This record gives sequence, C-alpha cells and structure tokens, in this order.
Amino acid sequence: MSSATTTITLINKVGLHTRPAVKFVQTAAHFSSTITVVCQTRQANAKSMLQVMKLGAGGGAEISIHAEGDDAEEAITALTQLVAEKFGETE
Amino acid sequence: MAVAVSLVVVSHSQKLAEGVAELAAQMANEKAMIVAAGGAIDGSLGTSADKVLEALTKAESADGVLVLVDLGSASMAVEIALESLPTWQRERVHLSSAPLVEGAVIAAVEASIGSSLEDVARAAASASTLKKFAGEE
Repeated sequence: MSSATTTITLINKVGLHTRPAVKFVQTAAHFSSTITVVCQTRQANAKSMLQVMKLGAGGGAEISIHAEGDDAEEAITALTQLVAEKFGETE
Repeated sequence: MAVAVSLVVVSHSQKLAEGVAELAAQMANEKAMIVAAGGAIDGSLGTSADKVLEALTKAESADGVLVLVDLGSASMAVEIALESLPTWQRERVHLSSAPLVEGAVIAAVEASIGSSLEDVARAAASASTLKKFAGEE
C-alpha cells in the first residue's frame, strides 16, 4: 500500500467541466487506489462523476489529487498527464 | 448481453429520447449502452409500453438497467412494460426520477466505469443537486 499526492493547475479553458470531468473520472476508474480531489475547501471522490462535477473546479483552478493504494503512483502520473494535456481538448 | 449497467431513456418525443441517448453516449465516450424509447408507436408524441418493452429487452444486462423518463405518463408506460417481463429480469431494472438530461449523462459516465446499478441510480438521482450556473444557490 502506498500513497501519492500532487497539486496541479487546470490549464485548459473550462477546467473540470463535463467533458474533461468524464475523462478524469474514466481515467481514475482504471486504478484500484482510492483517489480524492480537493479544490479549495471542496473534496471529491475522483471516481464519482457527480462529485467531480460539483467541485466546481474551473479553468485556472488549482487542484490537489491524492491517491492511496497499490497503484497510487501510476494513478497520479496518469491524472497529472491528463491535466497537462488539457484533457486532449484543443482549448 | 451487455456487461455493465445499461440505460433506457423514455420520452414522449422520439427525437428527445434519441437526442438524450446520443448526448449521454457521447459524453461517456461511447462506453455505455443507452437505448432510446421515445414517442408513440406511430412516431407521434406520446409513450408506448411496447417500445419501452423492446428497449428494456435490448438493454438487458446482468448488471442491471436504469430507466429514466421525461414526464408524467412515461412512468405508466414503463410500469406496464415491466409487468410483461419475467420477475428475474424485472428485478434488475431500476426506475429513476432523476432529471432526464443530467441524470442520463451522469448515469452513463458512472456505468462506463463499471459502477453498480445501485451506485449508478444514486448518482443519477443526485443530478438534481447540480447547479447550472456558477454562484446559483
């Protein structure tokens, strides 16, 4: 059991809006680790679409991602990459 | 038979049901099975228990089926259709009062990551708590 944490800025225009949130949740679901996302005072289970959408993390927002479990490092790497690649969207 | 929870979208309008199914499927990156059951048998506005039954059969999944409806009597058509299903199949169907669009999108995403019927239904039901505009109370 290991854990990993990262803090990253959402550099895409809309942040964790619906479509990026879907990619985030679907990516998180590939891992067995428990993954939480924090934006300001709000916290979400990264594998819950509703919770991630309710974070209200817009473009430019800073989020912290924390993973706990056997694949925690891999999960953080994958999610960080997704954010850095602007969720594969052009804006 | 589909693996993972699938969805049936019931609407008085065939176009609306198909549109919601299209939107939710695309939002979930085509990783969820969504079947539309909209309009009366002749394609006019209304609901049809036969169409719902056909959709339920098509959507049949060992993991369960979540049914979302638009207005009023759509729920009646669903209940009539359910009566035609064998008990074992009926037990895998969950009827949702969730808002149609948000409910379908959130349910589709939850289904796409392999969530249980219970979790998919709970997420869809909570969709009514989502705010559409920032700062809205």
